[in-house]
Amino acid sequence: MNADPILTLRGVRKAFGATEIIRGVDLDLQPQERHALIGPNGAGKSTVFHLVSGHYTPSAGEIALAGRRIEGRGPQAINRMGLARSFQITNIFPGLTVFENLRLAVMRPRGLQYCLWKRIGRDPAIRRETERLLEQVRLQHRAATLAGEMSYSEQRSLEIAMTLASDPKVILLDEPMAGMSREETAYTSDLIRTVTRGRALLIVEHDMQVVFALSDRISVLVYGQVIATGTPSEIRANPAVKEAYLGEEVAA
Amino acid sequence: MRSNSTLVAVALGVLLLAGVPMLLSQGLVNAAIQMLIAALFASAYNVLCGQAGMLSFGHAAYFGIGAFGTVHAMNALGGTGLLPTPLMPLAGAVSGLAIGAVAGWFATKRTGTYFAMITLAIAELLHALAPHLKGLFGGEAGVSAMRMPAMGLNFGSTTQVYYLTLAWVLASLALLYFYTVTPAGRLALGLRENGHRLRFLGYHVHGLSVLVFSISAMFSGIAGALQVINNEAANYVVFDASLSASVVLNTYIGGVKVFLGPALGASLMTFFGYAVSDLTQSWLLYQGILFVLVMMFMPEGLAGLLGLAAREQRRLGLARFAPVLLACVAASVLLAAGTTFVVELLQRMFSQDYRALASANAAAPWPPITLLGHAWLPAAAVTWLVPAGLLAGGGVLLLAVRRRLQPAQAESEPAAHAPAPLVQSPGGAA
Repeated sequence: MNADPILTLRGVRKAFGATEIIRGVDLDLQPQERHALIGPNGAGKSTVFHLVSGHYTPSAGEIALAGRRIEGRGPQAINRMGLARSFQITNIFPGLTVFENLRLAVMRPRGLQYCLWKRIGRDPAIRRETERLLEQVRLQHRAATLAGEMSYSEQRSLEIAMTLASDPKVILLDEPMAGMSREETAYTSDLIRTVTRGRALLIVEHDMQVVFALSDRISVLVYGQVIATGTPSEIRANPAVKEAYLGEEVAA
Repeated sequence: MRSNSTLVAVALGVLLLAGVPMLLSQGLVNAAIQMLIAALFASAYNVLCGQAGMLSFGHAAYFGIGAFGTVHAMNALGGTGLLPTPLMPLAGAVSGLAIGAVAGWFATKRTGTYFAMITLAIAELLHALAPHLKGLFGGEAGVSAMRMPAMGLNFGSTTQVYYLTLAWVLASLALLYFYTVTPAGRLALGLRENGHRLRFLGYHVHGLSVLVFSISAMFSGIAGALQVINNEAANYVVFDASLSASVVLNTYIGGVKVFLGPALGASLMTFFGYAVSDLTQSWLLYQGILFVLVMMFMPEGLAGLLGLAAREQRRLGLARFAPVLLACVAASVLLAAGTTFVVELLQRMFSQDYRALASANAAAPWPPITLLGHAWLPAAAVTWLVPAGLLAGGGVLLLAVRRRLQPAQAESEPAAHAPAPLVQSPGGAA
């Protein structure tokens, strides 16, 4: 609560037709904090991500990234302002190699889009950066594999690397551990801890062990509203949260 | 090592193409010009379709725009000054690029089916509009122009036109290849795989799509220009949907995953069209059969088939592979022969002339049909036993090949590529 928050949501609402999914969300994300967004199914966690990343436009309210308003901007504009995200359903380039997947992610922050005059294979800076990211998520040995042919957890690692490529100030990870085994979860949890150092992380995750171990703060979203925000121990002790969502899961 | 052998192959190919006028007759050189133009058009189309995953059903529009842009430039400039005849395709490139950028801006607002429908609509719009704009498209008669002498060449002979076409096609293919290794070319692949993800990586997807569309339209325009230079005329028929359709078919028959696949498909199909269209009235049917077979059994096209053959050869060794290959070729030939026999026989039987002949003397048995210099009686068993024998022979051979390949597969490590396409190698159009 000391520094200026890097990402703020104020009174954000989103309605689809007559149904209001997000009913006035206020949220602050501090620079360099790991912040988890939890809540029962259908609470609107993924919708919040879509609103922040520019996939949806809020019906009302303000969203600011590093002091600049971003609600209503397109995903590419928001990405360029320093926010990158992963998706609940793996969202990669399945027919391209892992190296190519990452290289596409790396090119954009280096200003390569409409470039028709240079051979991408001859760009040492791009190659080095791609290799560095591959190494960071421990996928070097998979560089030449088609991304769609890798195991699920490897694809998730690739997604994390792709979100890192633009060197974002804010990272949104949407259920990065969904569908993973115990070992894979532990591995990915470590990976997230390492690679998000020095950045702000907003994570949606259903695995409560991971959430409580990883997060500095937790916000609880129920029916489109944040009912509590606090440190893991505060959230654990919060009676409203217990009632609304956690129940025995945390008590156990 | 591998890139060296590729380089050698490309150099040999270029040498061979350069030798065409010395080796072949005038008529065949003319066919070669058509093949080169079709190859360039298909390669340009593949920039959009195969590489960026945007299936356009109206690419004749940009071919035609390039053609008309060039014919007007030829008439206006007379092949002198800044744009002499050898540089005329630049007019096609510029007109293709300009119209492509505008059309692409609209079409790429949508993806998938909607994109395809918009491209179709734009092409149909031009096709419907062109006959009415007599000043621009010359009405029924079209617009003609002369290849004016320039740079000490008179462009009077087919040979000179061939070399002009060859130079432009090779230069264009080289540029198109270079494009695939640039950042924009790589991004086009990302567009095909997952345009949605590109947006969340910070890319301007619409801008990128327009760029890819324009590049494709520009090179289609060059192909159109080369056709005008060859024909010395352009007619609004060039906007016909059949041209849009044939470039799709050629591209897929050749194989969209390999850079030269579409060029291969287009030149082969153009050549078959040239060689066969005088012999049969069913050429379109054969083209259709071939397309369906390719789509069903080897979606990676002829180029994919060649790649598969090369892999199998490495895996089995030449000694074991050669008989398999021979059997495949023989099976294809037998099946193709059987199919063509039946098609040609039926086509003649159902032709109006023959129906009239048969009904003129209804009491008598049906008169014989002449095919391959032999008179076949439709009622005779032997007439149908011949194609049945051919088809059965081909089928048995195919089964034998399949049997030989299957155990080999079981013993090899989990094969990444299904071998079925090799076995099913069709030769329907031969």
